[in-house]
Amino acid sequence: MKNKIINIPVSVLLLILSFYTLPAQSTDQCIKCHLDLDDTHAKLFKTDVHFTKGISCAGCHGGDATIDDMDVAMSKEKGFIGVPSRVNRFQVCINCHADENKMKRFGSNIPTDQYEKLKSSVHFQQSFNDQGPLADCVTCHSVHDIKNVKDPTSKVYPTKITELCGSCHSSAEFMKQYNPALPVDQVSKYKTSVHGHLNAKGDPNAAECASCHGSHEIQPVKDSRSLVYATNIPSVCSKCHSDAKLMAAYKIPTDQYEKYVKSVHGIALLEKGDLSSPSCNDCHGNHGAVPPGVESISKVCGTCHVLNMELFEQSPHKKAFDEHNYPECESCHSNHLVEPATDAMVGTQKPAVCVNCHSTEVNSKGYIVAGKMKSLIDSLKTEDSETKNILDKAGQKGMDVSDATFSLKDVRQVLIQSRTTIHAFNLDKFKEQIDEGFTIVNKAKINGEEAISDYYFRRIGLGFSTVIVTLLVIGLYIKLKKVEKKS
Amino acid sequence: MEEKNKKPKGKILSWLDERYDLSGLLEFAKKKSVPKFRETIWYYFGGVALLLFVVQVISGILLLMYYKGTEDLAFESVHFISTKVSFGWLIRSVHSWSANLMVLSVFIHMFSVYFLKGFRKPRELTWYTGFGLLAISMAFGFSGYLLPWNELAFFATKVGTDIVGQVPLIGEPALKLLRGGTDVTGATLSRFFGFHVAIFPGIFVILLTLHLLMIQRQGIAEPEDYQKLPDDEKKTIPFFPNFAMRELLIWLIVINILAILAVFFPWELGNKADPFSSAPVGIKPEWYFLFMFQVFKFLPGEILFLPGELVGVLLFGIGVLLWAIVPVWDKKTARGNKNRLLTYVGIFVIIFIIVFTILGFILD
Amino acid sequence: MMNNHSENSNPGKTKRRDFLNILLGGGFIAWLGALLYPVFKYLEPPEVEEVKVSNVKIGAVEDMQKDSGKIIKFGNKPVIVIRKKSGDYIAFSAECTHLDCIVQYRKDYGQIYCACHNGRYDLNGRVASGPPPAPLKKYGVAIKNDEVTVFEEAS
Repeated sequence: MKNKIINIPVSVLLLILSFYTLPAQSTDQCIKCHLDLDDTHAKLFKTDVHFTKGISCAGCHGGDATIDDMDVAMSKEKGFIGVPSRVNRFQVCINCHADENKMKRFGSNIPTDQYEKLKSSVHFQQSFNDQGPLADCVTCHSVHDIKNVKDPTSKVYPTKITELCGSCHSSAEFMKQYNPALPVDQVSKYKTSVHGHLNAKGDPNAAECASCHGSHEIQPVKDSRSLVYATNIPSVCSKCHSDAKLMAAYKIPTDQYEKYVKSVHGIALLEKGDLSSPSCNDCHGNHGAVPPGVESISKVCGTCHVLNMELFEQSPHKKAFDEHNYPECESCHSNHLVEPATDAMVGTQKPAVCVNCHSTEVNSKGYIVAGKMKSLIDSLKTEDSETKNILDKAGQKGMDVSDATFSLKDVRQVLIQSRTTIHAFNLDKFKEQIDEGFTIVNKAKINGEEAISDYYFRRIGLGFSTVIVTLLVIGLYIKLKKVEKKS
Repeated sequence: MEEKNKKPKGKILSWLDERYDLSGLLEFAKKKSVPKFRETIWYYFGGVALLLFVVQVISGILLLMYYKGTEDLAFESVHFISTKVSFGWLIRSVHSWSANLMVLSVFIHMFSVYFLKGFRKPRELTWYTGFGLLAISMAFGFSGYLLPWNELAFFATKVGTDIVGQVPLIGEPALKLLRGGTDVTGATLSRFFGFHVAIFPGIFVILLTLHLLMIQRQGIAEPEDYQKLPDDEKKTIPFFPNFAMRELLIWLIVINILAILAVFFPWELGNKADPFSSAPVGIKPEWYFLFMFQVFKFLPGEILFLPGELVGVLLFGIGVLLWAIVPVWDKKTARGNKNRLLTYVGIFVIIFIIVFTILGFILD
Repeated sequence: MMNNHSENSNPGKTKRRDFLNILLGGGFIAWLGALLYPVFKYLEPPEVEEVKVSNVKIGAVEDMQKDSGKIIKFGNKPVIVIRKKSGDYIAFSAECTHLDCIVQYRKDYGQIYCACHNGRYDLNGRVASGPPPAPLKKYGVAIKNDEVTVFEEAS
């Protein structure tokens, strides 16, 4: 009978697999009997994706589904294993799901690398009381009502997944057994995010847990293999946000990633590997991702650029920007494409950003201040490089100007500080800062000039004394000749 | 002839003459004479060395006004002298250059005395004191080199004192005594400072006084060939004023050379020594130690079951000792015969020193 | 006679000789000058940059007891700070105008006192008795946020 249904001899099959059978539904004695017994597991299993593919209870539990006699069908000789143990029940799943050929036999093209990925993931650590892996297949996919992931009733369907992950990750009680430091508010935060709102409305395209964290391969966020490791985040977000087709429905631009990688932050993070440089989530939030509001931009940037934020908030710009609803930092520095700030940003000529708002009328206050700031910082820079030249010249002449050269380092610091002070948009404050630099640079310049003139002074002095010595030598020589002649 | 008996003119001079018999002194100086022959030029180098020693004393005392001999302040104070103090650069450069020229002229002086056999009886003690003066000059150089407490000096001192540690038996305690501990530290600096400004000058002045007194007592040595000449063919230069004026002429030129060197080649200071930094590339001792340094570099690790360095130290020790006691073993010259071997040995030593010094400069 | 004659017989030669001696003597003096000038210049102590100080914080108001004084370093100058019985702060240069000794506050006199020659100043810095020829220079004291700051008053 069996031989008629399947081509492979069952004895061989049993030997290899012990529980692999493919009975015709009509003759599946397991389900028939268990349904008669009003077994809830059996009822659930009737809608399970495996059942629809013709896999019987015996496919997992072992035994012989073709035999009517309960004792024989569920006997050890027939390979019955009962309820697979918690410790290695995943073996039952990977028997097929890690084997490409078997999967094909059921007409399935789903990947077969789940176990490979899961094996090294954070979830596959051993649980604390020897109950096998922390989370295995069953933990997420359930037991008897496994559905295709695209089936809205699947436990891992996008709109369901937050609930699934939250069942552990939202429970402080549970999480503290494994990672007491890990927050448990991800789901509640998520619900406040744009992604969460869309998800709640049933949008399967909105990002959920697995979209960013991955599914089987989940790693702790500090592990560089993790999809949400700082340097991986931009590409994870861009998976959706750079997809013009996908984003069309939401009417938002798709050039953020492209801009970000060119920005000072993107270059620092992705090229230089500077993990302190912000990634997408550092400004937008992660689980509660929303675009920062116009008013809060300086606060968001200020989490890192503290001094600039403080100065800006005391500046006259703060009020004006609020009134006109200008985004604060972004107005001058842009958002995703933050370029390295240069001194060219200040002043009255493009690419200076001041004239974006301030009228270019020569008498307007903003125009005057911008011009003055620009000329102050420029002249300090010119003085600095001129002084450097003078000191170099003195150095080439072999004069020791190391002290003056060293003091020029302070000018560099003044310049850096003044570039921060600019954010107060206060000319007096700025001038005070720059003047400090002028004091240093002028002193160094005097030192350098003195060293150069000293260099010439030395040679003149030497020449002078050489002339005297030469005269003396000649005189002495004449005298000597005379004395010698006499004797 | 009449002039000779003239009393010094002028009030002050006659006042002094009345009391201290200046004319007598002058008379004495005038009677002294220096043999005149082909190699008279070499007679000036002792005087040049003397002049440079005086320059060293004066410039050294001036440097002491600002120098601070401690680990924390030594480098800074030298930096202060050469940048902030007016003419500090000059004094420091003159001190360094003069030190080098002094060692050089002492060397020349020694070789000229060696080749002209000036060490013969009865002038053995003059030779020994002179040899002591040479040794102290080099010790002056070695200790002074460390005083600016810069990187190069620090490591050169480390290497130099290490060689002392190779000497059998007394090496270990001598090393500790020199360094003021097992390593080159601030204690070494203090010690070297003490050697350089107190102990060495003291010994040097005593030896120098003896050296000069002996020359005064015995008169200048006459070379062998000159000595054999009949009396009427012996040409002489009166010490005063002729020889003295020539010497003065040379002194003036030497001082001006010093000034030129100091202005055009100011002495470098480099970086402050850091005992925990790795040794910089190209550490070299002062040039007059370079040939020894270079020889030690060429020595194999082991020679006949003995460490190479030890063999080097022993060979150098024996060599220097033999050189120093040349009046003892040179019997032939003492008997009045020409000792060609002595001349050959001298030439060999000069060539050896020159070759290894050049190698030391060229090779890294 | 002969002597005289021979000396005068060649006046040109003598002159030249004298000229040479003058040249040598002058040259020697000039050379000595060229030698000694750097040496004396060298001995002149170089100016050490004064650290410019315009104010010095000396601590909290209650740090000093009433009716007491202390000397503080103001740059490289000593300044005496006195807390009066009333609790007010005052400050003066601590260098006695007589011979630059450092003055002190004497509780028993309620005056500033110089131990060198018994000079006394009142609490306005004016000379009360003794040899000081001039009053002490006054410094300003400001109290802000419970912090006492001594500053140089614009003169």
